[in-house]
Amino acid sequence: MPVYNAPLLRIDSQETRRYAGLMKAKDFDETKIADACQEARLLATPRGIWQVYDYDCQRQEIKADPPCIIEGTKIGAHLAGCDKVILLAATVGEAIEETVTAQFAAGEYAASVLLDAAATTAVEQLADAMEKAIKPKAAAKGYGMRWRFSPGYGDWPIEQQPELIRLSQAADIGISLSSSMMLVPRKSITAIIGLYKEDKSTPAASTVKHAKGCAACHKVDCPARKIPPEEHI
Amino acid sequence: MIHIFDGAMGTMLQAGGLNPGACPELMNIEQPEVVKNIHKAYIDAGSTIIETNTFGASSLKLEHYGLASRVAEINAAAVKIAKEAAAGRAKVAGSMGPTGCFVVPLGDLDFEDAYACFAEQAKALAEAGADYLIIETCIDIQEMRAALLAAKENAPGVPVICQLSYSEDGRTVTGTDPQSAAIILGAMGADVIGVNCSLGPEQLVPIVRTLAENCDVPISVQPNAGMPYLENGETVFPMGPEDFGRWGTELLAAGATYLGGCCGTTPAHIAALSAALRTAEEPLRAPKSRRLWLASRSKSVCIDKKLPTRLIGERINPTGRKKLAAEIREGSFLSVKKEAVNQVKAGAHLLDVNMGVGGIDQAAAMKKAVTEIAQLTDAPLAIDTSDAQALEAGLRAYPGRALINSVSYEPDRIAEFLPLAKKYGAAILCLPITAEGVPKTAEERIEVMRKIIQAAKAQGLEDGDFLLDALVMTVSADKNACYEVLITLQMYRERFGYPTTMGLSNISFGLPNRPLINSTFFAMCLAAGLDAPIMNPYDESMQRALKASAALLGDDPNGLAFSQDEANLSVPKKAAVAKESNLAALPAIKQAVIDGEKDEIVELVARAVAEGHSTNEITEKALTAAMTDIGEDFGAGRMFLPQVLLSAETMRAAFNKLKELLPASSEADKGTVVIATVKGDVHDLGKNITGALLANSGFRLIDLGKDVDSTEIVRAAIESKADIVGLCALMTTTMVQIDKVIADLKAAGCPAKVMVGGAAVTQEYADNAGADAYAPDGVKAVELAKEMVKK
Repeated sequence: MPVYNAPLLRIDSQETRRYAGLMKAKDFDETKIADACQEARLLATPRGIWQVYDYDCQRQEIKADPPCIIEGTKIGAHLAGCDKVILLAATVGEAIEETVTAQFAAGEYAASVLLDAAATTAVEQLADAMEKAIKPKAAAKGYGMRWRFSPGYGDWPIEQQPELIRLSQAADIGISLSSSMMLVPRKSITAIIGLYKEDKSTPAASTVKHAKGCAACHKVDCPARKIPPEEHI
Repeated sequence: MIHIFDGAMGTMLQAGGLNPGACPELMNIEQPEVVKNIHKAYIDAGSTIIETNTFGASSLKLEHYGLASRVAEINAAAVKIAKEAAAGRAKVAGSMGPTGCFVVPLGDLDFEDAYACFAEQAKALAEAGADYLIIETCIDIQEMRAALLAAKENAPGVPVICQLSYSEDGRTVTGTDPQSAAIILGAMGADVIGVNCSLGPEQLVPIVRTLAENCDVPISVQPNAGMPYLENGETVFPMGPEDFGRWGTELLAAGATYLGGCCGTTPAHIAALSAALRTAEEPLRAPKSRRLWLASRSKSVCIDKKLPTRLIGERINPTGRKKLAAEIREGSFLSVKKEAVNQVKAGAHLLDVNMGVGGIDQAAAMKKAVTEIAQLTDAPLAIDTSDAQALEAGLRAYPGRALINSVSYEPDRIAEFLPLAKKYGAAILCLPITAEGVPKTAEERIEVMRKIIQAAKAQGLEDGDFLLDALVMTVSADKNACYEVLITLQMYRERFGYPTTMGLSNISFGLPNRPLINSTFFAMCLAAGLDAPIMNPYDESMQRALKASAALLGDDPNGLAFSQDEANLSVPKKAAVAKESNLAALPAIKQAVIDGEKDEIVELVARAVAEGHSTNEITEKALTAAMTDIGEDFGAGRMFLPQVLLSAETMRAAFNKLKELLPASSEADKGTVVIATVKGDVHDLGKNITGALLANSGFRLIDLGKDVDSTEIVRAAIESKADIVGLCALMTTTMVQIDKVIADLKAAGCPAKVMVGGAAVTQEYADNAGADAYAPDGVKAVELAKEMVKK
């Protein structure tokens, strides 16, 4: 079931606040956030695609044709114990970023930045919805899912983006790469999700604890960071 | 009557010798005895309906094994085996599983391709003699609709069982709740509605109950034997036969009369279930309500006299709106989408969709509009057209139960629209118009309405399928127009009991102060029994009339909501408060910039100029002073980027006003900055923010844009005699370009100072690259730039 364009019936305003760096700005006008979320919904063309592959976690090898060796120790550790992986790509399309640029050029600076944040929220929500669609299928086969991991996280070099584009078949939903390994459209995601057998007799694989999301990132002064720097492990 | 399905097939096939990776359905041809023995085991355990081994025997699934051309053969063989095994002891249900793809717009499988795939399989199963068809494990209501339509049209007379799979949150993965599913599938003519897989029996009890409450066909349920886990390399379903059997009576009490098992269940589970239900009594179901329900993919809405008024938003209609019509003609649906979202925001519960633009393919436009709107909002839709093809295109594309607007007593509407309503499970808005025209009196309208309802019922429509339009005429042309509508509304309620609707605004045509007439008329109609007006939800006077009427008619008990609303309206806005404070002009400008009050600033600047303040004074004492405070607040974490940007917008408005009022006096020129995002990098929002802040702090800004080559940056810096070059790079892959630009600037002998920034850039990197400064954010960049030009 590789293509899933989840509808965006709402865009989370709290997440949009976070991406706009407004987490601590309690008195910021809520209607401006709501307007940005609505604008993003109107302009977004949500599209998502995924593929499943066998995976050799010892060799960090995705068994595609041709195969792909994943570089990076953090991603290697993250996928330890997995024997399948899902390569996922999602995008909300070009129109939003065109509007972000046009609004800024017209002097609507704040609206532009808020729309950009809403678009980021939208593409993350889209990937979340895809995970939600994948989860029961994986569970039915006894698989648990690791959280999604993208090139550029930890020491996984973004030079492996072309492989993620190839393996997820992201081109089918209109995602490409610039020469500097940037996703086009900008508001796109590529990611890998490890599938592991939730085996009650060998609990090791499922109880491996990894720092997750913001906690795994070294950029502790990021304005969108979910946890305060002092809690960073 | 209680029916017992069988349990899992796949695991039994594996136990019977199916190789991993092989096509399970090919066993029907290659090892029929294995399949037959499984059927027999289930019948011996008490199954009264067995399912054929055809879950994946559709062309789209068989394609994975190169068997797409053998659909008919494999399905026919499966039915034959099942019938032989049953030997009259059990009925045979032809199993149809999902295609594995989401249907457009959720996925890339076209609705018609899904339909064709299911049609082929349904035909094969029916021709081979299946007693039922069972469409199961679907998670996309649109795929289920395609399968149900295909089954009904290609296997006429064979009862169809429709089972979706729900997740732990009680919805399908694609968001459909069991209430909406029951409403949509019940109206489309599913013979049994149910649920299977994904969850164990305990979690399915409330879903079964909801299904039973929202349709009047039997309910089926086939739970998993709990949630699976892996033990020693084997997938284990935790629930044993006895526990599983015990849940049978709970599921029966919740309303299911077709019960069986899905993943992890065995003949032992079915035997336990059958034993538990042997002496059980079938529960009495409450008769289906006469209420009118409409549904989108993920939400149901009821229109009923006992419920609050439902607004049908009328704005998605190009009639008399040139801009909207032109957009639709050009294939752009952005305004349509905006109207959808904005109307829902303004309180619309349902949306009317009209694509009546001359000279376009109405059917294609309706399909596109319905598809786009359904992806964007969960308000159910009314398909508003007089074109039967456009109507069918809209109904086919809509993943819900729509309202047809409208069916009159004109021969073509009766002949063409009613069968479409039945086929797609739509409700109808009945308009008392005949081929002869509009009847004037209420009595005549009742008579026409009676005929429409009679004709609709003859086509199979039922009590919950009607919304009656009272038909509003113009009071300036007919003094009795309002009176007849009020009588009509009352008589609709008395004679038919169905909910009512109308388009209101026609009443005031040709009169002055139409809002007053309209809202007064609206209040009268609400009192006379209007349930779901078709109106402009943005209309303030109508909304206020609605709220006041709700308080008067008891829909808003004791007027609580009304009081709350009135209280909110009387709270003065922040800007109004600010105006009252008597700050002198310059401090007021400073405060307005800090607060980002763009609407206030122009007036304040004009006042300052009128009071004799010079440009320099306004810039230094108010604007720059504000920016300094903002910089401090930002640095201290008291102010955040979007707020700084609102201030920058306010600054910009102030500068523009100053230029307009005092064009002669040039603003303070702090120096020239050339700014660019480096080659290979397309992220320019951070650079734009920095540029905007610099430009609004008195710097002359030359913004070269994004993905800019080093030679262009060097040339611009030299030509403009730049004081500062600002370089931005977001990614580690493009950061190295910074080094190149700095080297090229030096080689060209450019004296400009270099400031760098961007997500991946650090102070350390900037130092190593030979930059003069590193700016972690736009506010800091302004501060650094000011210091640089001082030196």
